[in-house]
Amino acid sequence: MSALNNPVIAVIVSLILAVGYFAMVDHYLMDMQGLDFWYLFRQ
Amino acid sequence: MGLVTRKSLFAIMGLCAMVGLLLLPIVMALPSLAIGEEAPAANAEKKEGDKVEKGRDVYYKTEGIVMGAPAPKTVDGPRDYPRYNFESRVLLWFANQQHLYYGSFVLAVPIFCMIIEFMGVVTKDKALAKRYDQLAYDFIKISLTAYSLTAVLGGILIFTFLTLYPAFFGYLSGIFRPVMHIYALMFVAESGTLYIYYYGWDKMKEGFLKWIHLSMSVVLNIIGTLLMFLANSWIGFMMSPAGVDEQGRFLGNIWHVIHTALWNPLNLHRILGNMAFGGGVVAAYAAYKFLASKTDEDRAHYDWMGYIAMALGVAFLIPLPFAGYWLMREVYAYRQQMGITLMGGLLAWLFIIQATMIGILFLSTNYYLWQAMGRMRGAEKYQRYIKYLVFLLACGYMVFITPHTMVMTPAELKAMGGQQHPVLGNYGVMSAKNGGINVIITTTVLSFVWYMRGNKVSTVSWAKFGNIFMGVFFACAYFNIIGLAVYGYYIPANVRVGLSVPQVATTLSCLFFMFALNGVMMKGAKQMGPIEWGKISARSQYALIMLATAFTWMMGLMGYIRSSVRLFWHVNEIMRDNSPWAYTHTVGFAANMISFNVLFFWVSILFVFWLGSLAAKKAPVEAKAGVPGAVPQPAASH
Repeated sequence: MSALNNPVIAVIVSLILAVGYFAMVDHYLMDMQGLDFWYLFRQ
Repeated sequence: MGLVTRKSLFAIMGLCAMVGLLLLPIVMALPSLAIGEEAPAANAEKKEGDKVEKGRDVYYKTEGIVMGAPAPKTVDGPRDYPRYNFESRVLLWFANQQHLYYGSFVLAVPIFCMIIEFMGVVTKDKALAKRYDQLAYDFIKISLTAYSLTAVLGGILIFTFLTLYPAFFGYLSGIFRPVMHIYALMFVAESGTLYIYYYGWDKMKEGFLKWIHLSMSVVLNIIGTLLMFLANSWIGFMMSPAGVDEQGRFLGNIWHVIHTALWNPLNLHRILGNMAFGGGVVAAYAAYKFLASKTDEDRAHYDWMGYIAMALGVAFLIPLPFAGYWLMREVYAYRQQMGITLMGGLLAWLFIIQATMIGILFLSTNYYLWQAMGRMRGAEKYQRYIKYLVFLLACGYMVFITPHTMVMTPAELKAMGGQQHPVLGNYGVMSAKNGGINVIITTTVLSFVWYMRGNKVSTVSWAKFGNIFMGVFFACAYFNIIGLAVYGYYIPANVRVGLSVPQVATTLSCLFFMFALNGVMMKGAKQMGPIEWGKISARSQYALIMLATAFTWMMGLMGYIRSSVRLFWHVNEIMRDNSPWAYTHTVGFAANMISFNVLFFWVSILFVFWLGSLAAKKAPVEAKAGVPGAVPQPAASH
């Protein structure tokens, strides 16, 4: 826990968790509707 | 049960007998429903050999034996549309709206009572438990007088229907005949349960009897909710009929008539709306009492009451736009043209007004919370960041209320280069609006989180990481919501339409995860000072009144929109409205009518509050006593 209380490490870990979580939310919730979230990037 | 005395046992038995008697009419009504359903089979046997006419359900596409008369083809005249020297539709609009306002209020308040009474029963702090109990009692007391008025207004509504729209009402009551009496009997059961619940409060205040009393509030709310669902089935049938053939003849399956395409979305939308409305009205009542209070104790009590009512109301307000989206989605799925009329055609400007009102609701809530932070020592640290929240809210609000196109003169049209503004016009599409409203709601969640931790400092060992994670999570949520809104401009409409789901999920993630994380972090937190109830600016109380008024206005508006979307149909595509008033009013007329309804409701409910104050029950001394500023202590329960 003490390492996580280091602000730099805390920001990096938080960013990884939050960005990963929201990317999953975007991808899977679009997928569940039969839509492709990465449509633009596949063109 | 060993603790239950003989006297208590008799009381419980008496109570059970009373509740059983109250519920008996409903049980007795059920066989008649069954008979109604068996009737076609019986008739079929009786008329064996005779030709049995069958029809096809307009929505479910199933075949059924025709059991009712076709929808009447009305003509404009005294037979189908008797009238006074006034527009009948406006009279009906007024009667309907007032009944709905009061109905919503008296259905919502018992749910609040149930929640607050439960909080009082389970809390270990005895002083706080008494305060919760007193608050729940205050809530039900307010609704009791309103309850009689709801019944009176219901009677007026029925007479208005019978007098001014006899053909239509005859048809509708014919279709819903199997459940009409159940509705009436459930109303009797609801009234009886409410009176026992209210008048039995003192007699059932301790021990096992208190749990019985609490259970009665559950029964009360189940009956109330079922009543609302039944009433919703009528408007659901008028908008998206089912269970009848194309001539409007009943096909024998009452469940099909009730369970129409829009019934469930309407049920969810209305229950959330009622709760938010009820919270707003009680908060406004508390605000009024706060402003009129002469003592610090009263101010502390009504400040707390206003906060609890507002918090409960907003808890249901936050998911309301999502329920609205579901309803609209189902409307589009049922009839695309109906959806276009609502959001892209004749009624689209009313949705801009609706967006304005939704924005006002959230702005008022945030303003109240920022003002409320003033009564906490330690919350000053957040004050300097509020301007950033104002910026986010203002941006979200401006995008949310931007219309797609403007009504203009030819000269204005030429000057702007088209109906759509070259820059601002881009914000008038759903992609931007979804982003706008989600930013507003996420900011409201953030304001709540700040409020809940205002006077506390977390003592958990990972507090620093928790705070940083919370900040990063909110920042990423904003980035995701706005990013998805921008992304929507670059992809085709059939893909874009799905982006609203992850946007909503992002907002709800903030709501649930951040509330939960904050709760864990603040468990056993160090308090910088007590919440000084009563020491809040008068402006905050006006924000509560604003919240309630805006909600009342929005309810009137949305009711009008929902009803107007049928255009010239009494029952969509089944029974045509041939009265002279089968046209859509101008936006100005509708706005004036809604304002009149809002004004009438608030004047009448002030009268109800005044009546209630005449018979005010003196609060238990211990419940109101205490040092102002130190009590009550709901902060610990945040």
